[in-house]
Amino acid sequence: MTIGLLNHPEMHFGAITFFAKQHKEDMCGSNGLPLTPNSIIIYGRAQMLKAIKSPYLCQYLDIIRGKHERTIVVSQYCGTPLSNIVENQDQSIDEIKHIVYQILQGLNELHTRNIVHRNLSTENILCQDNNVKLFNYGLYHLTDNGKLVSFPIIQLLYAAPEIYLDGIQHNHTNPKVDIWAVGMILAELVLHKRFWSTLKLGHRIRKVLSLLQSNTSVFERIAREHNCYEDYMKVPEDIKEIIEICLNINVDQRPTCGELLQKGVFNQQKTDKISEKKSLCEPFEIFTIHEFYHWWQLAGGDIFQELKKQGLIRSSPPILSLPQLVLIEGGLLGQDRNPATLFDPRIVEMPLASLYQRFENIPFTAFYPLIQIKSDIISRLEPPPYDATGLPLIIKERDPEYQFHRVILLRRLLHGYPFTRELIVREAEKDIPPLLRGEIWAALLHVKGDYKSHYMKIDKYSITPTDRQIEVDIPRCHQYNELLSSTDGHQKLKRILKAWVCKNSNYVYWQGLDSLTAPFLYLNFNDEAKAFACLSAFIPKYLHKFFLKDNSAVIEEYLAKFSQLIAFHDPVLANHLYEINFYPQLFAIPWFLTLFSHVFPLYKILHLWDKVLLGNSSYSLHIGLSVLTQLRDRLLNAGFNECILLFSDLPEVDIEKSVYLSTDTFKTTPTSITAREHENCEFQERDKYDISGVTLEDLKRERYPRISANDIVSLVRSNPEKMCMVDIRNMTQYNRCSVIGSINIPFSSVSFSDNNIENIGQHSQLLKETNNKVVVVIGDEETDMELFPTFLLKCNVKKVCVLHGGFNILLSVTPTILVSHSHNI
Amino acid sequence: MSTRTGAAQRPNGSTQGKICQFKLVLLGESAVGKSSLVLRFVKGQFHEYQESTIGAAFLTQTVCLDDTTVKFEIWDTAGQERYHSLAPMYYRGAQAAIVVYDITNQDTFGRAKTWVKELQRQASPTIVIALAGNKQDLANKRMVEYEEAQTYADENGLLFIETSAKTAMNVNDIFLAIVDELDENVEVPGPNSNKLSKFSLLNKTVGVLSKALFAKIVFPISINRKDSIISCDPSL
Ligand SMILES: Nc1nc2c(ncn2[C@@H]2O[C@H](COP(=O)(O)OP(=O)(O)OP(=O)(O)O)[C@@H](O)[C@H]2O)c(=O)[nH]1
Ligand SMILES: [Mg+2]
Repeated sequence: MTIGLLNHPEMHFGAITFFAKQHKEDMCGSNGLPLTPNSIIIYGRAQMLKAIKSPYLCQYLDIIRGKHERTIVVSQYCGTPLSNIVENQDQSIDEIKHIVYQILQGLNELHTRNIVHRNLSTENILCQDNNVKLFNYGLYHLTDNGKLVSFPIIQLLYAAPEIYLDGIQHNHTNPKVDIWAVGMILAELVLHKRFWSTLKLGHRIRKVLSLLQSNTSVFERIAREHNCYEDYMKVPEDIKEIIEICLNINVDQRPTCGELLQKGVFNQQKTDKISEKKSLCEPFEIFTIHEFYHWWQLAGGDIFQELKKQGLIRSSPPILSLPQLVLIEGGLLGQDRNPATLFDPRIVEMPLASLYQRFENIPFTAFYPLIQIKSDIISRLEPPPYDATGLPLIIKERDPEYQFHRVILLRRLLHGYPFTRELIVREAEKDIPPLLRGEIWAALLHVKGDYKSHYMKIDKYSITPTDRQIEVDIPRCHQYNELLSSTDGHQKLKRILKAWVCKNSNYVYWQGLDSLTAPFLYLNFNDEAKAFACLSAFIPKYLHKFFLKDNSAVIEEYLAKFSQLIAFHDPVLANHLYEINFYPQLFAIPWFLTLFSHVFPLYKILHLWDKVLLGNSSYSLHIGLSVLTQLRDRLLNAGFNECILLFSDLPEVDIEKSVYLSTDTFKTTPTSITAREHENCEFQERDKYDISGVTLEDLKRERYPRISANDIVSLVRSNPEKMCMVDIRNMTQYNRCSVIGSINIPFSSVSFSDNNIENIGQHSQLLKETNNKVVVVIGDEETDMELFPTFLLKCNVKKVCVLHGGFNILLSVTPTILVSHSHNI
Repeated sequence: MSTRTGAAQRPNGSTQGKICQFKLVLLGESAVGKSSLVLRFVKGQFHEYQESTIGAAFLTQTVCLDDTTVKFEIWDTAGQERYHSLAPMYYRGAQAAIVVYDITNQDTFGRAKTWVKELQRQASPTIVIALAGNKQDLANKRMVEYEEAQTYADENGLLFIETSAKTAMNVNDIFLAIVDELDENVEVPGPNSNKLSKFSLLNKTVGVLSKALFAKIVFPISINRKDSIISCDPSL
């Protein structure tokens, strides 16, 4: 039953493969950089095809690059080629009309996107139960009008005469070439004949060209040549007319797809289709062929292996391709042309049996998960959810069943966005299925509404002083990635950055903004506007003011907070780094300015940001801490040089571990510990019991963090056992009034001469083993608020912080958390 | 691990006379090839898609010259003008600076001059400054004439050499020329303590160079900052 849903006639796909043209060795572009390999340019150009969705077009699914510029294109493939039924005499006129109508619909879809097929033939039109889809329609487009491959892209019989006349190297981007092809195909269909099918190549071309000389109708001439004048006479006039205008030698007089679709011949088809169009919003599909292909891959499907099995990819011993003579200047002679550089028209259909088998036991209900309310009865009837908890993220991401469930559920939730946002957040906290990451991130970032027209209105083209910097940065930005190194990728990144600069006149382009944009572009390669919208939502939330022209105060504050956070959680490490003068200024600026996007490769950034997007702007401090924690042993045993070298070349950092560590410290750190003046108040409300008014100077001097009265109050009320409050005022004051549960170590009773915790006297044991309690130092104006906490820090006491505002701030808290001890004396 | 003074072990075990440690900083407009020069000097590599530098990067390299072990502590700074305010942190206390420009871009030469001025005003008065005209391999697109830069360097008492991080041309030379110059300025008076003109210093270095290369100790530093090596050809 489940298989029934998966085993849908439309859920089939296949692959073709060819080689991109190889650059000559040692070629350089004008900037001295090597030329982008053609297969990468193709890779970039082909992405937009994946976004085209039409019932008349086979969906593009994937582009895969292999060795030596091999390119594999995976796309939906369902039905049989039209060529198989051309000679079928039973084909009625109505059926033929129906086919041609759909071909035109498909072409129209392409032409409105400025894509010319140029390769239309009865071989790449697929029919299935009267449904027609064009296949491989993007070859001419993705090879940049054939420039990126060494074989001609042409269908001899269907190529319009102007293609031959201008020479096939000439770029034909006029969609009218496709109209000629439609004319030929329609003519073949109504005459039930494959034209000139027995002739050799050259003859066929001559035949097509001879049509140019025709004084009478081209169609009539073709019919006579094939001895089907009688059949020709039987063709209804309106069809004849269509064929005639399509096979017009004069390019300008050929109609467009749109015009043809308006013709009366198709009235019947039009009324049939109208009902489809009427629905208000797109119908929801529980999954599409994209998801299906993704699961197929997870279940072990391997395009490359299939192509090998079918003999489309063959490796020949290198010795066979050696030239016979190599000139001193480098010229090669006597080298056979590698037949693989020609176009191989074969299509390999991918076997789906193993996926069906794998998903055999998935219950029907799993396709329709209930998301909002589930009655007890239903949940009892339902099978238990697929359990993957506890598995490492990497495994979860590759588990076909798990990804099946996640994708089905999250697609559903995303369909309901923005109303389902909270549910999306809750699911994202578990994990984010890679296939839907782009959309989920956008939802987490509250991207909604008409972001497209918003982006369209921004000037991305005017020359600005920032252009040079952007231009030199882009070819250095995550270039190991195929998308980002493609020509299209470069152009898109440039537009997004320029749009951002244009839109944020209060900010400027800092090197690193390119890296920060890269993950968004990577995930939304076909939706530049969304990538921009994500970036525009991300920066105010996580990097507020970081891109100010003078951002030094903001960065300094952030780095100072980072030092304090290290001291809070790991005083031993903090003391060591302090002693060797190893300041975050020297290594952590790129970490925080780009939220690690300049530091880690993309696949790591994605996992890191999955969590960042669920946290607030302090989260990256915790990531920084987690990186130090992972390198802790090496840092502790190293001097300044070795430490800094470690970071100039960040060694293996286990991201899953980092995520785990940082989530942990993030949760166990009172929020005010990382509170900053320059935080975006839009995301962080404050009152008089929060920290404010700390100067940068103070902040940089204080090695331990401050804690807010708000945090103290809530800790005292909810988790007093996690607190160790040290009141350092004198005994009289303490006895008169102090916080419930606090201990008194009068400031004046302690000698700070050496870093010995015993100096504090009777309570030293308590501070030696704080058991991870938050140690809050509470003083007032009369006590020195710095010496004592610094002393504790130097004695390696963990989680030391100082109450901001001192004791007196607590006086006005209601209900009070203070008690008086005076009666005890 | 790091010893500021003391005897270093030669690979063959014999101890050796002298260790010098130099702090050196690279300055110059963005994308002129500062990081590439350092990478070439320290690891003998060149990455076409070298990542841009944010803040600064730190690297070290040790070379043996005659009986002296020279350890370079190299600060490679960010070129974008905006990062300017960080620069003093790195050139403060530096014994040497390499100011880099791109010979195919006149603006970067102008920027180099500004850096020289700033160093002359703010850095240590004994700082040795070398001017490097990088991307010499692109000489067919040259926008800054050799003579123009040479004249400027002479007028300002700078070492000058054109380099290519891509082909490795003159890269070691410029670092070693700096050592010689520093030798002259501060360190122990060597056999050639009579002060030579800057130009002949450079020529002399070339002689020393071959020796230096043989005795070079390369620190095991890996430069691939991103774990994945830049690759355009994923394995099949
Ligand atoms: N042809 C050529 N290209 C070079 C040479 N040196 C560097 N490049 C290229 O120039 C670009 C910039 O080099 P980087 O080393 O990143 O420049 P940088 O000065 O460190 O730039 P910032 O870090 O932005 O300040 C890179 O793409 C390098 O591949 C050279 O000698 N010849
Ligand atoms: Mg650099």
